[in-house]
Amino acid sequence: MAANKSRGFAGTLITLALALQLGRPCPAQSPARRAHAPLKLFTFTHPAMATTFTLYLYLDDAARASAVSDEVFDEVDRVEQLLSNYRESSELSRVDREAASAPVTTDPEMMQFLADAEHWSRASDGAFDITVGRLMKAWGFYRHRGAVPPDDELERLRAVTGWQKVQLDEAARTVRFTAPGVELDPGGIGKGFAVDAAVRILREDGVPAALLSAGSSTLYGLGAPPGRRGWRVVVPGPLPSKRTLSVVLLRNQSLSSADCSQKNFVANGHLYCHIMDPRTMRTVEGRIQVSILDPSATASDALSNVIFVEPPEQSLRTLAASAPESRALIVSNPVSGDRASGATSHATCTLYRWPGAIDRAHCPAPPTQPSRASKKK
Amino acid sequence: MTINRREFLQAASASAVVASASLARAAAPAVKPVRLGVIGAGSRGQEDLRQFLRVPGVSIAAICDIYPPRYAQVNRLAGAEIPATASYAELLGRNDLDAVLIASPVAVHAEHVIAAARSGRPILGEKALGFTVEDNQRIVDEVLRAKVLFQIGHEYRYAPWVKESIRRVHAGDIGKPTHIYAYWNRNGNWRRSVPSPDPDGKLERLINWRLYRETSGGLGTELGSHHIDIANWVFGEQPESVLGTNSICVYRDGRTVGDNVQMVFNYSQGRRLMFSSITDNAKNGNELWIYGTEGSVQITIEDATFYYEKKRSNQPTADKADSKTIVERGVVTGASYSTAGEMPYRGPGERVQTGPETDPTLESIRSFVEAVRGEHPIEADVHAGFGSGIACAVAHDAVFAEQRMAIPKYRGAAAAT
Repeated sequence: MAANKSRGFAGTLITLALALQLGRPCPAQSPARRAHAPLKLFTFTHPAMATTFTLYLYLDDAARASAVSDEVFDEVDRVEQLLSNYRESSELSRVDREAASAPVTTDPEMMQFLADAEHWSRASDGAFDITVGRLMKAWGFYRHRGAVPPDDELERLRAVTGWQKVQLDEAARTVRFTAPGVELDPGGIGKGFAVDAAVRILREDGVPAALLSAGSSTLYGLGAPPGRRGWRVVVPGPLPSKRTLSVVLLRNQSLSSADCSQKNFVANGHLYCHIMDPRTMRTVEGRIQVSILDPSATASDALSNVIFVEPPEQSLRTLAASAPESRALIVSNPVSGDRASGATSHATCTLYRWPGAIDRAHCPAPPTQPSRASKKK
Repeated sequence: MTINRREFLQAASASAVVASASLARAAAPAVKPVRLGVIGAGSRGQEDLRQFLRVPGVSIAAICDIYPPRYAQVNRLAGAEIPATASYAELLGRNDLDAVLIASPVAVHAEHVIAAARSGRPILGEKALGFTVEDNQRIVDEVLRAKVLFQIGHEYRYAPWVKESIRRVHAGDIGKPTHIYAYWNRNGNWRRSVPSPDPDGKLERLINWRLYRETSGGLGTELGSHHIDIANWVFGEQPESVLGTNSICVYRDGRTVGDNVQMVFNYSQGRRLMFSSITDNAKNGNELWIYGTEGSVQITIEDATFYYEKKRSNQPTADKADSKTIVERGVVTGASYSTAGEMPYRGPGERVQTGPETDPTLESIRSFVEAVRGEHPIEADVHAGFGSGIACAVAHDAVFAEQRMAIPKYRGAAAAT
């Protein structure tokens, strides 16, 4: 799982060139006329959650677009204040401090976040797990100082790692840790949770079309640009290549991607990725990048970690059982951690209902991949 | 068979809840329930509600708001269907309220606080206390007459690092505090999105009430009231007078309050608070500096740091060895100016240590709930609210008149009877 999934998925590119053409300078208009004014594309950026959020939205009026973007980014900031494990005053940090001593009463939104995390932990048999806070620190990913921890330290950390150590009482709205020292890391799901909250604001404000990108690792396409079927998103790869691997259209759904390009370290010639398998207490080997589509950004964010951690064949089973509506692209390489071998020479692509065409010349199906999975619709 | 995520979640969480519920409940201390009524469920009211729901034993009984979209927002926030009404009289007529939160626009605080006080419920009232001078006077009159608990929404009174800083200032840690410079700078137009169409502008006035002079004290009230309250706390009194100015520098969108404001509040003995807010550059953010004769303290919304002036010696030197050396060897003459003497102290300062940084709003609301349960008195009471509220009310006029204006004191409960 991943706590702190890659913040700037180098490869998820948003192609907007075709969407920029509509609209013209809009003089001051009466409100009645404004309702029929042509839509224009506005772009806003905002730093949050240690990355940059970008909002592309279509509206007829610059002032209203600005007000909407302020509300959207206020909401992102609010969710960051709820979930940040870097801020002592966040609700998540309060839970960390107090939940080992006694049940902590929290608000319904925080309970929902914890329940969502628990759900994906259960569904993935622990491949996704937000209790990796201490593990991430031991590997040095919390402050970008990567190092391989000794085996005995990792064994000791098993006492404070494991999603079953977080017990929720949804009726009483309490959370309790069954072991002292557990630390939550929302990095594998928090940005998706923030994107879902922000999209609710966009819907309430009646925005007809918008694309919200959380550092490009989680995106949500609301509606579609005028005259288009959806928001065009390019998935490049296999990394480190910048070639186009696939193109998908987002319309009322999210896309989340995970890779190792932004957060990793090299020791003894081996590339260690920041995405953890909490069951082995070690960084994931064998995966290069993944992308997944789902109506919920929270779900796609969490699932991008699940399918990064699990072997592709297991990911297909997990998705079929727990997220049948999702669509996934998994790029693997059995020797991906060996920098000397060439990172992409053995890349293979495993698909689950993936809607776009794939550059099979550079990413063939794995030898053992059941062809049925990629054709399932 | 496949099940969708919601079904899975419900099935999975049901078993988890059964397993963990007995454990959680066994450890949770019994608390007296507090059922909350809410007047004003906009953005600030909703943030308060989230914090209320983090306090054990608190539930939301009902809300009042004249903007119906708030009802669904609160339902989502609370995770339950909350009874809602547009009539505060109807809300206060309920018999299941143990306390009332008032988070309506400042221009109707007096109407709502006085009605709530007359209903006999403990009140948490958002700042500023009242909109006009008379509103502030009447609110105190009515709260005292009704003998109800009242807490003003000055949450920084409950922030551990602020409390510790003020304790040290009062103990003389920075000498005599004489000046406070406070800023709340942002980079944004302060405007909320208004549904379209809004042909008669009613929604604009309802949602963006902060931008119009007849409903808002502007930046000085909505942001500066916190800093005025801290200055009152430091100096132990409310200001005597204020002068100020404001303008619209960037956002010429029809608003009638300034998009920047500068105010100087005068306290006794020549002590002063300077408050400035601009909305097109957030470099300074929200910070407050207390300057004393021997040091300074910088207070932000997350922490506080002390700095000390260079020590000045007033000790006799006649018997010191280095003095004798000067006599024997003489002194060296040269240019006297040193730039170092004009440079600010640039060391890291001494950060106030008070344990984990907690959320001030949660701390203040937890304290209010404890007060409602009879566990201790209110800290930020109606008099604290009056001290900043009355200053805001006068400053609101002063920044347009650009004249020094006197700030009246509370006229006393006798005047109200």
